[in-house]
Amino acid sequence: MERIEQFIEQWLPYITKASIETFQMVSVSLVISIIIGIPLGVLLVLTRPGQAWENNFIYQVLNVLINIIRSIPFIILLFFLIPFTKAIVGTTIGVRGVIVPLVVYTAPYLARLLETSLLEVDEGVKEAYQAMGIKTHQIIWHVILREARSSIVLGLTIVTVGLIGATAMAGLVGAGGLGDLAYRFGHIRYEVDVMYATVIILIIIVQTIQTIGNKLAAYLKKD
Amino acid sequence: MITLENVSKTFYTKKGQVDAVKNVNLKIKKGEIHGVIGHSGAGKSTLIRCVNLLERPTSGKVYIGEDELTALNKTALQEKRKKIGMIFQGFNLLKTATVYDNIALPLQLTGVAKDEIPKRVDQYIDIVGLSERKNAYPAQLSGGQKQRVAIARALALEPEILLSDEATSALDPETTESILDLLLKINREFGITILLITHEMHVIQRICDSVSVMEDGEIVEQNRVADIFIDPKHPTTKKFLNTLNEEQINQFLLSELAEKGSVFRLTFTGATTSEPIIALLSQQYDVKPNIIHADVTQLKDGVIGRLVIHLDGDQSDVEKALTFLREQGVGIAAWEVA
Ligand SMILES: Nc1ncnc2c1ncn2[C@@H]1O[C@H](COP(=O)(O)OP(=O)(O)OP(=O)(O)O)[C@@H](O)[C@H]1O
Ligand SMILES: [Mg+2]
Repeated sequence: MERIEQFIEQWLPYITKASIETFQMVSVSLVISIIIGIPLGVLLVLTRPGQAWENNFIYQVLNVLINIIRSIPFIILLFFLIPFTKAIVGTTIGVRGVIVPLVVYTAPYLARLLETSLLEVDEGVKEAYQAMGIKTHQIIWHVILREARSSIVLGLTIVTVGLIGATAMAGLVGAGGLGDLAYRFGHIRYEVDVMYATVIILIIIVQTIQTIGNKLAAYLKKD
Repeated sequence: MITLENVSKTFYTKKGQVDAVKNVNLKIKKGEIHGVIGHSGAGKSTLIRCVNLLERPTSGKVYIGEDELTALNKTALQEKRKKIGMIFQGFNLLKTATVYDNIALPLQLTGVAKDEIPKRVDQYIDIVGLSERKNAYPAQLSGGQKQRVAIARALALEPEILLSDEATSALDPETTESILDLLLKINREFGITILLITHEMHVIQRICDSVSVMEDGEIVEQNRVADIFIDPKHPTTKKFLNTLNEEQINQFLLSELAEKGSVFRLTFTGATTSEPIIALLSQQYDVKPNIIHADVTQLKDGVIGRLVIHLDGDQSDVEKALTFLREQGVGIAAWEVA
């Protein structure tokens, strides 16, 4: 009992700080990835043959680009993007420095998941709205994204969990976070308790996110 | 109200070219219900989709009223489409929206005034008889109820034209009846012109004023419904007419009778009443009429009586009897044994 109290007293500040860093990295990159990934996903669907903005060139370019980015492991991307990151946010270290690679890593993934979700939307409903003279941009929002919302939530859940995993490597550019804490203290300094504690926290976070995602998706699905 | 001029649609696929619609001409008057009937793959869906340009014709022109749809730009076409409702075999409702929202959303998106929307939605939910279910989601409704929502959604935009692509094909016979009654009601009460496609002669007979028979991309016969019952010309038309009530007729009996004498299908319209004519037949000619099946069919306007009759007698006497029947304005078709 005393040991536990002592452990908490000693490590709580570290764990709290790391949790905040992880939360910052995940939430900021998630929001930016959504802003980029959703339009990309929509574009991936609507530029396909037979769709409203049919354009084989754009479709193929996006397709290849996303595949290329998705083939690169995050740890490589992190270093590969250094000049790009520097140009955009002015630094390549800390939480700020890691957001750019996290977004580059996540947005195409989200776009792919979104593509799958949006393709599941019944062609017939889109057609019914086209037949009523409703504009394409309105159909995207009120029909396609709306009908896919449950599946989109599940996709976002997967992406969020993936992001938490990717932030573990953010320590390499000094951005900290829970993964970094577990690695530095647990692996390098043999403070296995810290490693266990961090891992347990990560498990709880991932479980919670997945449960919320599943519940929300089930609620949004009305069929 | 709807005019198609030499409309053709060709699909170019990897497997080659499909001429789905070939040179179709069609004129549908305001307030009419016109049915297009044909077998699967005849090109019916492609044709009806050419009317609101969901499918752009490869050649030919489409007019709605005075306006040539095929000449409009995208924005003008969207504007025009608001006045052309469409319902589908698969209903095509938003799964994530309630009955109310399914009807309200298109109103909102087409710019109907905000305080007008609830009134309109309620009005049309009421017309299709779904007031009790307005907060239900489509998954909680039966097929017939879903089609009612789809009809209300189309009507709420107050269209001049309603296109129906096999709207009753996924429904059981009883539900089909109630949906057909609803279509008839909106045609009569709102004067909406309806173009529907179907593969069931029953649908044509129940609610259509005129009919086109489609086969292999072409319209092979076109007439008023009453006239097509009396005097079908194309073999496909005859086959479709035979499908009506066919199940009630004993095919075995029929083929046995066909061996000694001929079986005919007689059609009587409003003026000619069947009974005295058949009685006269046996008195005046040396034939023995044997009634195999008789029914009276309600058409959109008026009734039609149909007899399946076996005429026992010499070839020449039968011919004479048939001539007499024709003179009385009775439609005659030889029964083709299945
Ligand atoms: N988008 C398309 N691309 C290629 N071929 C098509 C397309 N749509 C229809 N066709 C072809 O055109 C022909 C007519 O199809 P259509 O769907 O109009 O028939 P239909 O009369 O409505 O049949 P059903 O009763 O089965 O619905 C078919 O041979 C079909 O394969
Ligand atoms: Mg069809």
